Amino acid sequence: MVDFHLDVAEAAPNDERSKRRVTSGARRSSWVTPSRLLGLLIGAGFAGPAGFVVWRTVRLGGDLANVAKEVPGPLWRTVQLSVLVSVSAAIVGTALAWLVTRTDLRGQRFWRIALVLPLVLPSFVGAAAFIAGLAPNGIIHDALSAIGITPPRRFRGLGAAWLVLTAFTYPYVYLPVAARLIALRSSLEESARLLGLSSTATFFHVTLPQLRPAVFGGSLLVFLYTLSEFGAVQLLGFDTLTRVIFATRQTNRALSFASATVVLILALAVVALERTQRGSSRPDDRSTAAVRRSRLGWRQTPALAGCSLVLLVGLVIPIASLATWAQRGIAGGRVSINDLMQPAISTATVAVIAAVLAVAVVMPIAIATTRRPHRSSDIAAVSVIVGFAIPGLVIALALAVFTLNTPVLKGLYQTSALLIIAYVIHFGSQALASTESAVRAIPHALRESSRLLESNPIRRFFQVDFALMRPGLVAGGGLVMLSTLKELPATLLLSPIGFSTLTTEIWSSYEEGFYAETGAASLVLVAVSATLTWFLVLRRSEVVRG
Amino acid sequence: MFRPQRCVRVAATLAAISLIAASCGGDDAGITLYSGRGEKLIQPIIDEFEEASGISVEVKFGKSADLALLIDEEGEAGEIAADVFLSQSPGSMGFLEERSRLGVVPDSTLALVPDNVRDDGGSWVGFSGRQRVLVYNTDAVDPADLPSSIFDMTNPQWKGRVGVAPANGSFQDFVTAMRATQGDTNTLEWLKALDANDPVLYANNNSIVAAVGRGEVDTGLVNHYYNYRALAENPDQPSANHVFAADDPGAVLIITGAAILADADDVEPAAQLIDFLLGSSGQQYFATKTFEYPLAIGESPANNVPPINFSSDVSNAGGIAFEDLAGGLEATRALIAESGLES
Repeated sequence: MVDFHLDVAEAAPNDERSKRRVTSGARRSSWVTPSRLLGLLIGAGFAGPAGFVVWRTVRLGGDLANVAKEVPGPLWRTVQLSVLVSVSAAIVGTALAWLVTRTDLRGQRFWRIALVLPLVLPSFVGAAAFIAGLAPNGIIHDALSAIGITPPRRFRGLGAAWLVLTAFTYPYVYLPVAARLIALRSSLEESARLLGLSSTATFFHVTLPQLRPAVFGGSLLVFLYTLSEFGAVQLLGFDTLTRVIFATRQTNRALSFASATVVLILALAVVALERTQRGSSRPDDRSTAAVRRSRLGWRQTPALAGCSLVLLVGLVIPIASLATWAQRGIAGGRVSINDLMQPAISTATVAVIAAVLAVAVVMPIAIATTRRPHRSSDIAAVSVIVGFAIPGLVIALALAVFTLNTPVLKGLYQTSALLIIAYVIHFGSQALASTESAVRAIPHALRESSRLLESNPIRRFFQVDFALMRPGLVAGGGLVMLSTLKELPATLLLSPIGFSTLTTEIWSSYEEGFYAETGAASLVLVAVSATLTWFLVLRRSEVVRG
Repeated sequence: MFRPQRCVRVAATLAAISLIAASCGGDDAGITLYSGRGEKLIQPIIDEFEEASGISVEVKFGKSADLALLIDEEGEAGEIAADVFLSQSPGSMGFLEERSRLGVVPDSTLALVPDNVRDDGGSWVGFSGRQRVLVYNTDAVDPADLPSSIFDMTNPQWKGRVGVAPANGSFQDFVTAMRATQGDTNTLEWLKALDANDPVLYANNNSIVAAVGRGEVDTGLVNHYYNYRALAENPDQPSANHVFAADDPGAVLIITGAAILADADDVEPAAQLIDFLLGSSGQQYFATKTFEYPLAIGESPANNVPPINFSSDVSNAGGIAFEDLAGGLEATRALIAESGLES
């Protein structure tokens, strides 16, 4: 904790000057200040697994001819899928966020909460639920047949992977965009309407440009998620680069690590592109004036239908499908919910710790990138973000190798502490964007006046800054928590012996073909995730109250 | 009101507790097992062993291949945490053997099984077996039409009617076995013919059996027990297993093996654990709960599973030393890729 106090103490008095420096000589200023060193140190921690991948690739001496033969096909499919999913998630997430914050959509409170929930399902479970639902006797199959549509015989390939991943990842865009819309005054939009622009034109010409950083940040997360996704694409038979990483991890380690390096390069390129393209955003300016909401009029019905469709695909269908599995087993007396209590508690505990820790760790970087931009803070931020593109298995191996070969750290191997570190490295990027906008949300004037009232920077940080940042921090921590709840490969490898989470239970049941147990454990995971999300995130964030 | 300081303190305390709890679990008299076989299919028998022997067993579950990678990294650092490794895939066992991470299983334990289901050098011993079969939809296929050799599944009659999981470990193990008995050239030819016959590709055995059960595809190449388990779950599913002729590569037996790791601290209790898995209660557990083939001499499979005589019925029953095959699994994978089946 001492770390970011230092940073705040150092950053605060220089605030106004630093704003000027951004435009003048920021890039030339010194790298050796406590806050920059701290940022770089944190960034180095996050970059560890990436360094491991590159080091292994070099050491194993990837056979370039082999890489040139095996990688291009899967690479092209990876790019196709990642681009498609992030574009569609951006559209769906932004449209939904606008509907629930800026219009008179009916049942707004319900939609605001429900539309977050598709994030709670591990995507391999979602994919499995779809595959089963489309089978004869499956719920989608029967529903389609009942209304006279011939259900598709196969649910595979690019289209299937695109649909499933979009349905489960759009909340990465929806959440930050909704938060941003709530924080933005609607006065510009009102002026636009008064000047005669239609509500559609107002959205595209006035609202959307202000949302750009939020939309880009969220879409970037979706892109990186798709890049490192393995379970769902494998089930849906779409052959991407992660498949090469996994299929050759034992038989051709050089190719496996070379493929991971390719994923890494792709991620770096996209992260760099996003950072140059997202543009700057003006600070939030909350006003007490009521937000003017567009009247949907005749569009009320199609809007409601759209929200329902998204929720149907992302939540209702998979859950109903899982429920039919679970119900068969519970009716047969083979599934006991009690057995799932222990995993449920340990899952929730590590997820909450990982979320708090992730927010705390990325905080100094968020403060640096927003208040005192410098190349060092950009480097640190990029390291944090790239952690999300590296498959969990690789992060786990990197941490295992690191602790096993560092005498003082050996004691950490296979402890929950190391597991939590892995989660923080893997998912820190999800906290970063929200934390950055939370820092940005503090009006300069307020920070000035607080300085007069409270001279102790640490106390000032907690009493003023923290209070104002809370909604953003809670949203960022919430994303980390949800991702941790459903993480599998790193959990399997790094967890202490005898430690199981709901996701490892789901996986082991599914792997062995026990669908009833898979269904029951998945439903418990959804229930735990939804409960935690409600009590820890939504209730405290403005997405609900706004 | 929400107090950040308190929050931080609570989080720090929780972290400290979990750290302590984790480090307390450490070294008592027990042994450590890394199991590539899922908890539901092995933990009950481990519990029985603990009760019978008084030896405590700590188990880490995971995918065989991932655990093998982890053991290899532990070995690289001179810190192998596991005493015993159970592998669902001969490939992972071969990988560790090649990397010199395996110790030796005592002769008395090796003697419990026929010599074609254990490693010649004694570095691993099989404790249960999965046979490769053809699962078929009984509404769509007349059993009389089913061939006795997997080589006939590439005939035009089966065009578009065979489900395959080419990226799945057990399919690759089966192809490796085919290379051992038929040679690379014949194997590649068969893979190409299969690919040309418009097979339906799936992610794993489970998906194939489910797809066959619901009539999405007529037949599929899988391990034998998936269908028995699917039937236990839904007895009305119209699916059955067809076993190819005993000497056919399509009927190969894939072995789940146990090994004691190099520089294991507790060789004696580790061997006791493996002996228990090969004892009557262990073997009957696998026979009746997972519908696999018990491998210990004198044990028989579950009622509805057709018995195998290891010395005569399955000529290539697990007796293939995967690690001796030139190139091992990597060469198999390359062959599958070359045939065009995988993409």
